Amino acid sequence: MESELICAMNISSIDVDGHLGSRSDLNVLCGGEAAATEANIGVAADTSLPIASLESVLCTEELQRRPSRAPDFEKENRALVKLASALADSPGTIFQTLALTIQEITQCDSAGLSLLTRDGKKPHVDGQRFYWPAICGMWNPHLGGGTPRNFGPCGDVLDQNRTLLFRHFERRYPYLIPVSPAAEECLLVPFYVEGKAVGTIWGIMHSDRRKFDAEDERIMGSLGKFASSAYQALAHIEDLKIQVAEREKAEAEVRQLASGLETKIRRLVEANVVGIVMFTLEGAITGANDAFLEMLQYTQEDLAAGHVRWRDLTPAEWRSSEGRPIAELKETGIFRPFEKEYIRKDGSRVPVLLGGTLFEQGGKEGVAFILDLSEQKRAERALRRSEAFLAEGQRLGQTGSYSWRVATGEITWSEQLYRIYELELGVPVTLELIRTRVHPEDLTLYEKMLEEAPRGGKDFEWQYRLMMPDHSIKYLQAVARATRDRDGQLEYIAAIQDVTARRLSEEARDKARSELAHVARVMSLGTLAASIAHEINQPLSGIMTNAGTCQRMLAATPPNIDGALETARRTIRDASRASEVITRLRALFNRKETATESVDLNDATREVIALSLSGLQRSGVLVRTELADDLPPVTGDRIQLQQVVLNLLRNASEAMSTVDDHPRQLVITTDRDGRDQVRVSVKDVGIGFEPQAADWLV
Amino acid sequence: MTPAVSPATPIVFVVDDDISVRESLELLLRCEGWQPETFASAQEFLLRPAALGPSCLVLDVSLPDLNGLNLQTRLALERADMPIMFITGQGDVATSVQAMKAGAVEFLMKPFKASELLQAIRESLECSRLALAREMEMRILRSRYESLTPRERQVMALIVSGLLNKQVGGELGISEITVKAHRGQVMQKMQAKSFAELVKLATRLGPHRALNLSSSVHVA
Repeated sequence: MESELICAMNISSIDVDGHLGSRSDLNVLCGGEAAATEANIGVAADTSLPIASLESVLCTEELQRRPSRAPDFEKENRALVKLASALADSPGTIFQTLALTIQEITQCDSAGLSLLTRDGKKPHVDGQRFYWPAICGMWNPHLGGGTPRNFGPCGDVLDQNRTLLFRHFERRYPYLIPVSPAAEECLLVPFYVEGKAVGTIWGIMHSDRRKFDAEDERIMGSLGKFASSAYQALAHIEDLKIQVAEREKAEAEVRQLASGLETKIRRLVEANVVGIVMFTLEGAITGANDAFLEMLQYTQEDLAAGHVRWRDLTPAEWRSSEGRPIAELKETGIFRPFEKEYIRKDGSRVPVLLGGTLFEQGGKEGVAFILDLSEQKRAERALRRSEAFLAEGQRLGQTGSYSWRVATGEITWSEQLYRIYELELGVPVTLELIRTRVHPEDLTLYEKMLEEAPRGGKDFEWQYRLMMPDHSIKYLQAVARATRDRDGQLEYIAAIQDVTARRLSEEARDKARSELAHVARVMSLGTLAASIAHEINQPLSGIMTNAGTCQRMLAATPPNIDGALETARRTIRDASRASEVITRLRALFNRKETATESVDLNDATREVIALSLSGLQRSGVLVRTELADDLPPVTGDRIQLQQVVLNLLRNASEAMSTVDDHPRQLVITTDRDGRDQVRVSVKDVGIGFEPQAADWLV
Repeated sequence: MTPAVSPATPIVFVVDDDISVRESLELLLRCEGWQPETFASAQEFLLRPAALGPSCLVLDVSLPDLNGLNLQTRLALERADMPIMFITGQGDVATSVQAMKAGAVEFLMKPFKASELLQAIRESLECSRLALAREMEMRILRSRYESLTPRERQVMALIVSGLLNKQVGGELGISEITVKAHRGQVMQKMQAKSFAELVKLATRLGPHRALNLSSSVHVA
């Protein structure tokens, strides 16, 4: 056993078994009055002291033997009536009133009430302890204290189910020793509710100035019955209070909800964001907000005057379809939103979206919201128009577009792209389907693109060819931009232009230009001389022939002077023609001073590629460009720079002319090299298989 | 100033895209007494009907449409008897060899000496004239041959092949007297002064005639 057991808690106490007893239920029962006082039932139990037997502390039988005063029924009745009215007036303090009544009638020193704890949530606690909700007299300071159920005077009373008189019960129950003043005699009477013991009422004499007698026993029995009634009444009142409180709480919540909802609805109506109409199933409009009225060019005055009627609002062709929403309303209490038209006051029409509900199912009144769809319809028309424009633009521009979600393989094509690929509109597009159209020689490029695309993040620009089922060739130019959607998935948006017509028409021009460039490149002194000779020989030939003719005419007999003069004139003319040829050649070969300007290397490179592309394609060379975005402009002679790039391209192309076992691929790269240098690289896969890089630094 | 040109005057065609060359040659050729006709392209030249009299062609190798060598190939089929001289501003060995193998008379580099070209033209025109004369002679010969009766042609074929009159008679199933009469007709119609000349004429008419004859003999 514990040598010391101190309980000094405010709202909990510890019984001998160490159980915690909750007081919360009694706080409710006693309206809070029983709280606050500490039950200083501290016990400095000396376990060496022998515990007295129950019999030795009981003297109940003496009551009958003691001289008894005469019963005072009048006083008793007065007391009971007083208690009854107290119960009705202030049920919260009824136990305290009962204690006072006991003290007054029995003339004892202390009187009080013990109640078994009642805690439905903690069964092991239920009925484990007696608790003192009301004490008056000398023990009043011990209000809120109590005794264990299974080892204490109250427990004994309940066990024996009768009134008991104790003398110095602290002899048996040592924990009562410190409770002062000590009880000389204590009369305890049990009370029951529905046959179940719930507590005791008691009176204590702290001295022997008076002893309890039979009359006290009788009165206490009577008061015990009252205590039972009071307990029940109180319990009912408490239950009632709880119910009322709960109901009030629920009502308050509903009120709050309703007022919140009402506020929201009012705000919705008054905000005039949507048109709102109150109506009856008979077809009357009982209220409408300004948004609705403005939509239809009416005013609140029109509404009040009854000038706003469904029949006038609904165009004739819509009236037949009015049945459905009304039937729906009657059946389900709401009707699903649908689109219709209303007639404005001025006779024009407005497209609207309409939805609504009855206030109560089966009722006659309801509310409908009306959205003005004019803007939306206009936007839809504009969208349709702009889509048509886009499609037409793509058709005219020979440009199609597509999106490709790499992760899912989902590909969306524009109409024009279907036309370019000559596929039936709407056929699901797959990479495999596209492959069937790619020119066999460009398949490697296509595969490479597919391989690189999912790694992503990079924009693509490439040219490739299609081979149609009839073996005709299409030249396409594609630009793809890598984007990420909201889920972070990689998606390419691309534009593809059919450049076949342009390519073919450019070929002639490209040929001339590239040949000129070629001439400039290979022009050695010897070929230059030959070229000049060819140009010069024509007029020179004329000169010599004319001179010969002239000679003959003069040598004839007689000399043909007129003819000779004519040929001499022609000789001079041919000589001046020769001179012109020389001037022209000089202009062609003797370039003027070099022009130094700011050059965008990417632009310059692209021009060269465009110039050489058809030639490269004829040679079966695949061109891929990787041009850096952030190149600073360089200073130099644009033409000379381009000449260098052109030569690099030509060299690379020639280096691959014998390559047949793998694609003739040529990669042109521009990038920054250090802080202030820019680099153009041309890589080919020529002989030796090792990419040969020709770097050129500016 | 320019000598009058009769229809019989030899025609010298010039095809060259350079105007200096065309005009200077035109003067030179006229001065030499020939009739020049100049064209700036092969196509223009092909539109002109073939000349009846002696003619030759001075042809530039590089032309805007059909080049000189291609034109030469076409002319070899259509106007075989017209000699061609090439002139070029940028000659190379391969081109000149090809031109000469295809029958060109001359291949001159611009600028050329007028005398060289004139010499070549003269020779060409002579060739052309001779070819025309040969052609004329053949035409006469063929018309004489065509005046023979079928029997006379049979007799002629057999006697020029060396058979005696008697043998011819046996071959054709006629009398020697009749053969002699036919032979006299043949000599007269063919205007042959001797048997030897008749054999020469028959040779010029070509062996195929004798062949046709012999086959017709067997059929008869």
